[in-house]
Amino acid sequence: MYYNRLTVSMALLLAAGWASAHHSVSAVFGDEIIELTGIITDMDWINPHTHIYLDVTDADGNVVTWELESSPTAMLRKGGLTKAKIIGDGRPVTVRIQPARPEARTPYRAYMKKITYADGHYYVLSAED
Amino acid sequence: MNKIVSRYLITMVATLWVAPTTAAEAPRTSDGHPDLSGTWDNGSGIDFVEAVVDGDSVCLRGCATGPRPTQSGDRPNYKPEYMEKVADLDERQIEEDTVLRCFSPGLPRIGPPDKIVQTPNEIVFLYDDFSGNYFRIVPMDGRPHRTDVEPGFLGDAIGWWEDDTLVVETINFNNDTWLTDDGSFHTTDLKVIERISRDGDTLQWLATAHDPEILAEPWQLRPRIARLTDDEILEAPPCIDRDLDHIVENIHHDNVR
Repeated sequence: MYYNRLTVSMALLLAAGWASAHHSVSAVFGDEIIELTGIITDMDWINPHTHIYLDVTDADGNVVTWELESSPTAMLRKGGLTKAKIIGDGRPVTVRIQPARPEARTPYRAYMKKITYADGHYYVLSAED
Repeated sequence: MNKIVSRYLITMVATLWVAPTTAAEAPRTSDGHPDLSGTWDNGSGIDFVEAVVDGDSVCLRGCATGPRPTQSGDRPNYKPEYMEKVADLDERQIEEDTVLRCFSPGLPRIGPPDKIVQTPNEIVFLYDDFSGNYFRIVPMDGRPHRTDVEPGFLGDAIGWWEDDTLVVETINFNNDTWLTDDGSFHTTDLKVIERISRDGDTLQWLATAHDPEILAEPWQLRPRIARLTDDEILEAPPCIDRDLDHIVENIHHDNVR
């Protein structure tokens, strides 16, 4: 069963000409992509994945911190990206993220797809296809 | 038919005629060998990230046009009596694959070196892997393999030149690593032969894994091409896994290189 799923997935990926990232994000993260707005407060510049922290304020004024996983440091460097550039200037950003599956038992955690900053510039860190 | 044959012949002739003129000469050291020294971008160790920069915006993945890198899909071929073990390890990859715990990927899984420092008597390979920085020292003076060191992830290397190709033979491995991410274990008898050549500003890395007790045949990895870059390798940040406790049961954690 597991092999069938894997084989089908690999065949689809090969058919799409897609190159694998460090791991299949589906191991932790679901298929749905959502958008959130918040403020990036910090980033862990570590491997095998970097982690970006986003404070999101809900309608009642409660702040929830999301931990957003992203590419390894060497990949970010390929685009000239640094921790300072990704944290930005403290103004709100909009992120497109892929939240963790419920079975992964890690709420407020997601895989980062794209960050759009207040002035309109953006970083696409992971393909959405 | 004749038209097709003619077109084929024209293409062949054109290829034969063009090939020698497009092959770029590699610079040579004072002893006449190709100079492999330099920092070599093999795609951050996993695949090529083709960043597209548009003003202040950056797209790391999914925006580059043109042909995209293909996933290797190549796997070693085991003797029948070991296939069950490979399948079992693969099923338990999350517990068993040490790369997921930030251990060295070992050779050949680590791929081509990220930097080469070449001297007449030894060649040094440096690696900027996401699991850490590593080095290998390849003696070129004809000495035999060392017998006084413990087995390791990257083994004991010796090298020599075959025409313009650097050949590196490595033995004395531990068996804590896999050849790929899907249960392809190896024994401490693993021997890896790398063949490295330079064509202009590109480096070709070929590697073959020999483990005759368990493999049905030597396993030749897909050829890897690295490009000369001025983007120097850096001290690797800490590798701290935060995913393994949250991986949904029985989902494979792909780690293709």
